[in-house]
Amino acid sequence: MIPAIFVLTLRQLLRQRRTLLLVLLAVLPVLLALLFRLTAEEVTPARFAANGLFAGFIVNLVLPLTALVVGTAALGQEIEDGTVVYLLGKPLPRWTIVIAKVAAAWMVTAAVVVACVVVSGLVVLTGEEGYGLTLAFVVAVLAGSLTYSALFVGLSIRFGRALIIGLAYVFVWEALVSRFIPGVRFLSVRAYTLGVADGVTDVPARIFKASLSPGPAALLLTVVTVLTTAYAIRRLNAYEVSERV
Amino acid sequence: MTATSQPAIEVAGVSRWYGNVVAVNDVTFSVQPGVTGLLGPNGAGKSTLLHMMAGFLRPSSGEVRILGESTWGRPDLYRRVGIVLEREAVYGGLTGYEFVRVNARLHGLDNPHEAAMRAIELVDLGPAKDRRTGTYSKGMKQRIKIAAALVHDPAVLLLDEPFNGADPRQRLHLMDLLRQMAREGRAVMFSSHILEEMERLGDGVLVIVAGRLAASGDFRAIRRLMTDRPHEFLVESSDNRVLAQALLGDTAVSGASLEGDRLTVRTDDFTRFTEQLPRIAQAARVSVTGLSPLDESLESVFEYLVSR
Repeated sequence: MIPAIFVLTLRQLLRQRRTLLLVLLAVLPVLLALLFRLTAEEVTPARFAANGLFAGFIVNLVLPLTALVVGTAALGQEIEDGTVVYLLGKPLPRWTIVIAKVAAAWMVTAAVVVACVVVSGLVVLTGEEGYGLTLAFVVAVLAGSLTYSALFVGLSIRFGRALIIGLAYVFVWEALVSRFIPGVRFLSVRAYTLGVADGVTDVPARIFKASLSPGPAALLLTVVTVLTTAYAIRRLNAYEVSERV
Repeated sequence: MTATSQPAIEVAGVSRWYGNVVAVNDVTFSVQPGVTGLLGPNGAGKSTLLHMMAGFLRPSSGEVRILGESTWGRPDLYRRVGIVLEREAVYGGLTGYEFVRVNARLHGLDNPHEAAMRAIELVDLGPAKDRRTGTYSKGMKQRIKIAAALVHDPAVLLLDEPFNGADPRQRLHLMDLLRQMAREGRAVMFSSHILEEMERLGDGVLVIVAGRLAASGDFRAIRRLMTDRPHEFLVESSDNRVLAQALLGDTAVSGASLEGDRLTVRTDDFTRFTEQLPRIAQAARVSVTGLSPLDESLESVFEYLVSR
């Protein structure tokens, strides 16, 4: 049944207006890349791509925002508008619903963010040193978008206002708290994503260096994905449909 | 469809509360195949009860069983149960056909296309099946939801206010359909706050008021109780004082009060009162210009049933 729910969710996500807004958000790094190509002379393309474009803009902003909007809509929107009863009232174990929802959210998020990395990377790095950075960040955002998707799907089952809570996590916790308090970076999906990029890339540390080592970063991404998915399954198993829904 | 020895639906000592608010209070009944109506005013607890029957809400105490199995946390039960909730949400981006077919696929049916087509024909939506459900009227949405609930040929059908939004023709068609389901041996339970729907459809009726089961049994017997209860009328006539005196001489009238120009009459025998009023007025040479019930709201009928 997972494929049926997966396809149904993709159709629901792709027809939402906010998904279109995300595509517009994903175009911004490409415009930035073009601007850099046309004007910048002092910064090397590899350093700009790694720190300014990929880590600074895409991993900091495009990835978490896309995952937040898509992840909270994948199941949260169905809970909000009441269509979730068509899934819950079927002879399906509820874990299949969670897995299908996380997979669909992951696919849409990854499609948007990977395209964003590849196109902007092509614009900045074609013919330049550090071409492997693009591949490294493709792998990293693929992994990071899975973790974010599981996190935000779980959040949408637990909270009616998951979008606001998610925004607080992305912009307050990850963007501010975890950046300035060193120990807290271990609780940031953004930091894990950058750690994975650091592990895959072949550029020297002077160009790009993540604050978290690749090994722990990959392990933490896996742990958070598994734990948040398990939490989402547990919440959905105990989930009650209110008569107001 | 179900063994007659075992009730299709059993509700045993079920209560449900939200914090300090009791939505359903110690309700017990069992239902056999046939059409059963769940009647009660808005906010009486009908939907909460239906949600518990559907396995969507966990009872705070007691147990709900369908076909002998507890409904909470048993998704396998949905192979034999179809559910239509009141809220009209459907997947607006899908056509009617796609919506019913995806429900068939989620049930794991061998031939989702065939099952979807059969269910769509049952609710008479064939000509609109390729339109997006987002463009459907409220009544059409209700019918496509019923098609989705019937797609796997369930033995038990639970419907929350199924006729909301349907026009009179659609309403009659849906009623025929539900009767046909019942004739085929299914248990069909539907909730409504409209007496006429119960009268036309419900073989048996369960009356829920303020979370309690106020009455249950044959609808006609309950309807009689409702009709024979004390009624109060506001009477307007050419001479209220003379008419009040004349009415008090009849056994159908148990009381009359005259406050200024306002004449209120109380009767314990509704049928006799409505027959006798014109005769008494004529004999007293008084013209009756108005007669309006003071307590005909469904809530007052239900309050009477509860107080008995």
